[in-house]
Amino acid sequence: MFPRYVICAVLVVMLGLAAGCGAPPPKSDGNDTAAPNVDVNVKQNQQELPAPAPKNSPKAQEMMQVTTYHATEDAMYLVPETQSVPKTEHPLQTALENLVAGPQSSQLVSVVPAGTKVLGVKVKNHIAYADFSDDLIKSNHGGSTAEMMLVAAIVDTLTEFPEVEKVQIMVNGKKIDTITGHLDTSQPLARSENLIKR
Amino acid sequence: MPLKKMLSVLMLQIIIISQLALAVPVDAGASKQDSLTRLSSVRHAVRTDGVTGEKSLRLVVEVTGPVQVSKSLSSSPTPQLIVDIKGAELGNVANNIVLDGKIASDLSISSLDKSDCRLVINLPEAIDDTECKVYTLPEDTATNRPFRVVIDIDKPLSVPNFNFTPSLKGKVIAVDPGHGGTDSGAIGPNGVQEKAVTLAVAMEVKALLEKAGAKVYMTRVNDRDVYAPNDSATEELSARAEVGNRNNADIFLSIHANSFQNSQVGGIGSYFYKNTIYGKLLAQNLQDGMVKASGLSDRGIYPANFYVLKNTAMPAVLVELAFLSNPSEEKLLNTPQFQQKLAQGIVNGVNNFFVQAAKLGGIN
Repeated sequence: MFPRYVICAVLVVMLGLAAGCGAPPPKSDGNDTAAPNVDVNVKQNQQELPAPAPKNSPKAQEMMQVTTYHATEDAMYLVPETQSVPKTEHPLQTALENLVAGPQSSQLVSVVPAGTKVLGVKVKNHIAYADFSDDLIKSNHGGSTAEMMLVAAIVDTLTEFPEVEKVQIMVNGKKIDTITGHLDTSQPLARSENLIKR
Repeated sequence: MPLKKMLSVLMLQIIIISQLALAVPVDAGASKQDSLTRLSSVRHAVRTDGVTGEKSLRLVVEVTGPVQVSKSLSSSPTPQLIVDIKGAELGNVANNIVLDGKIASDLSISSLDKSDCRLVINLPEAIDDTECKVYTLPEDTATNRPFRVVIDIDKPLSVPNFNFTPSLKGKVIAVDPGHGGTDSGAIGPNGVQEKAVTLAVAMEVKALLEKAGAKVYMTRVNDRDVYAPNDSATEELSARAEVGNRNNADIFLSIHANSFQNSQVGGIGSYFYKNTIYGKLLAQNLQDGMVKASGLSDRGIYPANFYVLKNTAMPAVLVELAFLSNPSEEKLLNTPQFQQKLAQGIVNGVNNFFVQAAKLGGIN
């Protein structure tokens, strides 16, 4: 058997790798065209990114950048907001949790219905499956403007990640046809750049 | 060797190998920096905006260093978009690339001089300056992306052979009061329900259109689900689109009221699916008619990937009468006089649409 300290050391290296290769910085211009065809889940993809291994200092909190989208007060556009947050092993979920938490700026308006929880995000074949609690529909006040802003904010927040090309919105683990009866959300949706304020 | 020990050794090896594998591409990337800037690859894809439904062709030219770009449009002898890339030589990229055919036919790349390249994109139809964008993206080391030149070209609106006469007489019009039955739609702060407002306005629209000699098919004439109570959204929305398709309607009007998180937001908006010139023309006329008749603020017309617009075979528009989430607009939307004004504005818009559409021709 290996002495216990060797196994501990191995574990520390593994953790370091996972934590050190977290989310890429945001790319506000989005994915340009199809990324290389690899089938990955989020965790694997982090490790494939060529970032240097971290210096494993427990004192310095590792940070990552997360970009989320929120509406202008007049509900005409979405505006990206980039924050530095403590690094996590599931940056896509962290990004959605930041989206749900709402904007930092008082000039912007949250587009996610109150009480909505992020249940999880998985990436398969470049499609992010973003799962929310049913508050996404039940606490939604309706209106096509609100629906367009909400769908675009979810899709644009997740397509900031290079491994994500399209987003399938889900509620309680199931695909949904629509949120409030205007947009067709039954299929994975590509990034919406046309609602973003330039 | 005991199994546990073998597994531990194997695990350690995997970790060491994976770390080595990680280190290699980083070194390789760092060592090939100092040659001349050149084009290294050209990719293209047709993209559909997930929310607005707009289609565009994106061309991405990867370059090994920063460059400057400029674009120009030429219409003779055939439509072309010309993009000059300054500061890069022609690398080992294909000189001719066949594109999707509908948005752009093909691309040829040539050297202008030692450090400049020219991209000539042949287009099936002339486009204007607002329908194409050319810009650069910086290198992104974290995601391993080089400098890029990005060219976006919008899909042009098609001009189908519709033959409209310039009046409402004899027209077949599908009118869709939004929501209904188990789906109340948006609800205002004082409890006014979208499904009731849309039905009231739609019934007025029906009466005015019939008075002007049009044949109207309604998706519903009372408070009900069009397909079945508690149906799926796809069943419900396709049943509505089907009323237009089954009856060969000339146009499809879906009537809704809006809502947003901020109760200050107000005004009228109209949405179309960006496929033919007629959808946009109908949206603009309905919008102008409603704004003029109501005096509410004009939020404009927008392309949207809405189910009933995408799945109807005729020019189709979804109008948002005003915001139920705005208390003063909620009050207005609930009064018969204001509903009548909006209905009259919609009918004026439909009439103006047919006058303008008739001028666009077809093969009369």
